[in-house]
Amino acid sequence: MNLDNVTPSNAAGIRNAIDLGLKATAAYNRPDLGDRLERSLSQLEDPNVNVVVVGEFKQGKSSLINALLNTRVCPVDDDIATAVPTFIRHGDEQSAVAMLRPRDQPDAEVIRRPISFDLLPAYATEVGPAEPGMQVTGVDLTLPRRILSDGLVLIDTPGVGGLGSAHATAALGALSVANAVIFVSDASQEFTRAEIDFLSQAVELSPQVVCVMTKTDFYPAWRTVLEINQAHLEREGYSAPILPVSSVLRSEAARRKDRELNAESGFPAVVSWLSGDVVAGANGQELLRAQADVLSACDQLQSQFESELATLSDPEQAAELVSQLEGAKTRSDRLRSQAARWNVTLSDGISDLNADVDFDFKSRVRGVTTESDSAIDNSDPLETWAEFEPWLVNRVSYEVVSNYRYLIDQAQELSNEVAEHFEIEGAALSDQFDVHNPMAVLNQVSLNSNVDQEGMSTGAKGFTILRGSYTGILMFTMLGAMVGVALTPVAIGIGLLMGRKGLKDEKERQISQRRSQAKISLRRYSDEVSFQVSKDSRDTLRRVHRQLRDHYSTRAEELHRSTTESLKLANEASKVSHAERSGRIKDAEAELQRIARLRKMANEALPGSVQPAGASS
Amino acid sequence: MTLVEAAQDVLDQAAKMFVDEASAKAVSHARYRLDGPLRVAIAGKVKAGKSTLLNALVGEPLAPTDTGECTKIITWYRNGHTYEVLLHPRDGSAPQQVRFHRDDGAIEVDLGARQAIEVDRLEITWPSQGLKQITLIDTPGIDSLTDGISTRAFEFLDPEDSETAADAVLYLMKHIHASDLRLLEAFHDDSVSSPNPINAVAVLSRADEIGAGRLDSMASARRIAGRYGEDRRLRRLTQIVVPVAGLLAETAATLTQAEFRSLQQLAEVPTKEMERVMLSADRFVEAKPETPLTSLERRELLDRFGLFGVRLSLALMRRKVVQSSVELSEELTTRSGLSELQTVLTTLFVDRSDVLKARSALLVVERLCNENPELEGASRLLLEVERIIAGAHPFNELTTMAALRSGWVKGRPTDLLAIERVLGSHGSTRWQRLEVDPATSEEDLRTAAMSQLGRWQRVAENPFSSHDLSTAARVAVRTLEAIVTESRANQEASGAAAQR
Repeated sequence: MNLDNVTPSNAAGIRNAIDLGLKATAAYNRPDLGDRLERSLSQLEDPNVNVVVVGEFKQGKSSLINALLNTRVCPVDDDIATAVPTFIRHGDEQSAVAMLRPRDQPDAEVIRRPISFDLLPAYATEVGPAEPGMQVTGVDLTLPRRILSDGLVLIDTPGVGGLGSAHATAALGALSVANAVIFVSDASQEFTRAEIDFLSQAVELSPQVVCVMTKTDFYPAWRTVLEINQAHLEREGYSAPILPVSSVLRSEAARRKDRELNAESGFPAVVSWLSGDVVAGANGQELLRAQADVLSACDQLQSQFESELATLSDPEQAAELVSQLEGAKTRSDRLRSQAARWNVTLSDGISDLNADVDFDFKSRVRGVTTESDSAIDNSDPLETWAEFEPWLVNRVSYEVVSNYRYLIDQAQELSNEVAEHFEIEGAALSDQFDVHNPMAVLNQVSLNSNVDQEGMSTGAKGFTILRGSYTGILMFTMLGAMVGVALTPVAIGIGLLMGRKGLKDEKERQISQRRSQAKISLRRYSDEVSFQVSKDSRDTLRRVHRQLRDHYSTRAEELHRSTTESLKLANEASKVSHAERSGRIKDAEAELQRIARLRKMANEALPGSVQPAGASS
Repeated sequence: MTLVEAAQDVLDQAAKMFVDEASAKAVSHARYRLDGPLRVAIAGKVKAGKSTLLNALVGEPLAPTDTGECTKIITWYRNGHTYEVLLHPRDGSAPQQVRFHRDDGAIEVDLGARQAIEVDRLEITWPSQGLKQITLIDTPGIDSLTDGISTRAFEFLDPEDSETAADAVLYLMKHIHASDLRLLEAFHDDSVSSPNPINAVAVLSRADEIGAGRLDSMASARRIAGRYGEDRRLRRLTQIVVPVAGLLAETAATLTQAEFRSLQQLAEVPTKEMERVMLSADRFVEAKPETPLTSLERRELLDRFGLFGVRLSLALMRRKVVQSSVELSEELTTRSGLSELQTVLTTLFVDRSDVLKARSALLVVERLCNENPELEGASRLLLEVERIIAGAHPFNELTTMAALRSGWVKGRPTDLLAIERVLGSHGSTRWQRLEVDPATSEEDLRTAAMSQLGRWQRVAENPFSSHDLSTAARVAVRTLEAIVTESRANQEASGAAAQR
């Protein structure tokens, strides 16, 4: 089906189908199937669609969110930029919660503390620190806004490329949990190299990306910039649309309640992209998942009554049917047992996956280290380290996120492989894997930034560097003046000789020393990252393993129960007296009709979907 | 012997020594540079507003500007008696004159059959008052999406095989971006291992955009520039950060009477009505027919002034702050930050141009000597260069200032800033160094100098001062001694004149 056109009636249809399905499973005494439908329903009720707003710093990301939600909660300032990710979700009341962690205990649990809105700038921007000794890891806001009510969560991220460039990590981390991405760039100029590079990472990590061009009210030539940017995107091969907007006009429109001005602001396009493509798209996925659950329940209930009906209507065949069903029961028994083949496939798959993911990450880290080494060899770390450090952290974050993507994709493939053992439709896991944002792990590792100063006291450092410049020579002559030697050419000569010789040798020696220090720091960092990430990815895989095992065990239980019920009903049916038979046939037919109605309802709620949906995923 | 004379002397000696073609060319080139005006390069990322600011500084719209990336070739603008454009091909062949025409003010150069990538640089000679003291060099932006263009800017500012062609650099940025720091770091001389803030000034260009065109945008920009100016990483790379609204500055420098009249018509429209029109650039252009001027005229105004410029001009005219085009031009020049930038350029570059030019020349000789150590007299000449550099107080001031700004000298921040000022961080006139009014009498000036002299002498001799700090203080003492001597001489001269 076309996911762009999901309407509330689709959702209502699926909800009704689930309700009816719940009644049916209760009536037929199948609480196992009921549990599954319950869970499906609760997921429908509480969908989270994460939309991450990213871009270079000072492009108007916070203003965009404020204008979009007609609020002023996101702190906006000419100078001070957003410093931590801000999550904005729906709530009946306005509220703000800061997520804090003691600075000296990076492993500690995050504390959630309600704060007042006035204090928001202190927590969310570079103004901080809001609380001594505490590190703010994020801010969580709820707002009573209709646009958020379908589960939309907007995530405002710190800008990329500022002086405190480590922020790129935060944005990249947010990308890994994103359902969609809004890439913000203002109309002052065409995309820069850095922006295109960042955009390419975003496109790779997130399924849906839209570019928003802000501040069109201020730049008369925004249409030209738009055209140039579209050409850039086309050349790079990205299909993301560019939506021009003006936050100023939107806010003004809201103040004056001016519909025309709102249209002029360009925001309606953003709103319809959000509620259409993104939220409805994500909800559509949810609905497909729910539909698959209902249909799968129908399948199992249906097989029960079909076998009963078959036995009732054709007693001669009953014996054969019962033996068929017994065969099916044996198969489902096998599926239930610990030694089931699917379980072996799963265990083998997980251990293979462990090795694959580890290898994938190792080779990624190796790539980064090789690149870094050559960068260090070609420069003086003293000059380049300040810039090298954020680059490295950013680059490693990107590799970590990509590695986790790989993990998820591979796990999905494994899950499908396991599902094949079940020989029924809709067995495959349709939930998301329980995989955390890996950035939390990365934040535990810090790169030793004092590379240029390692092993030197501050005073010594000041002097050695001074010696590397003209001031060095000046100081030697000054030294002469101090001890009473007149500034004769001889004295200058000595000073020069000392300075010159020292200058050259010392400089080279120091550069090579700094290079090796930089490499040591780099190794230490990449070792630590590898250690933490491999530990975390092992944990993650363990969780995925458990999740898959639980899921398929439950499927096996359900299947077993269905076959047992079918067998029981068929056995009973074969013993039914001739007189009762026609009545029982009528009953079974009526039950089957009811199930068919339920199936029809589920199918009609999402017309045109590939069915059953589970088979297509 | 002045610094320039000393440098000339060294160059003359070098000219006799280095006879191979390349070196001889480098020496004669350096000699030629020493006599010419100071060369200031305008650098920055793409779309930072380099060409616009160049036009503002020249006071004439010479460099073409556009919405998209525009400057693709390094272009020199120098003063001369004739109008002439010289094209230097990249393959090293002889420069040739090319044709050009001038529509809408900007000089459009006809490259003929050549591609931009085949051109090393364009040299435009133009009789202009604004180019008398400095030759301006426009560079393509870094961080460009078109390959090759950014590399050219890098090569120009940080050449691998020879000295950089500019004596000083004006670095433009919108906000400070990590890649801005990278380019600034690239611009330092080859023989010193650390970046040098002596010859670089950072400009927060397009400053009106920081507050998205609010009337207080420039105040906001000034605050931000102040904060950047205190940033440790920036301080070791530039002398100062100045906010400039480039477009407005260019327009202010070239304002026409017709534009003033157009603005006057708009200023007569009631404020409330105008507010609605000024909400966005599109609205301003496409406003209702009863608004004065045609939509084309308004579009042209917007292209020249920007939304901020129009808003500001209208506010100034309504409040009767300005009554004529001359007054408006003056007011906008001040408010755009251009006057401040011009002052900064004068105090930090032009007043010091002898020192900067001599420095450039000495660096050439130093490089040649280092490259040919086997040549007879090379080490002697090198010694001579070092002697000049070590002996010339202006150099000592500059290098000490560089050390102070790099944060290598430990001491109380207020002390360090005060030493910097004495050394000329805010300008090299006596009153700027002493932070007194220019109208101060010689007597008071001397008193101020003496009190500072005492202060730094104590710091220099204090056994608890760090070694670096006492060295820096000693340089300041020498500067102050010179001020005192000069002041005494001035007073005696004027006293003698009065007696006569």
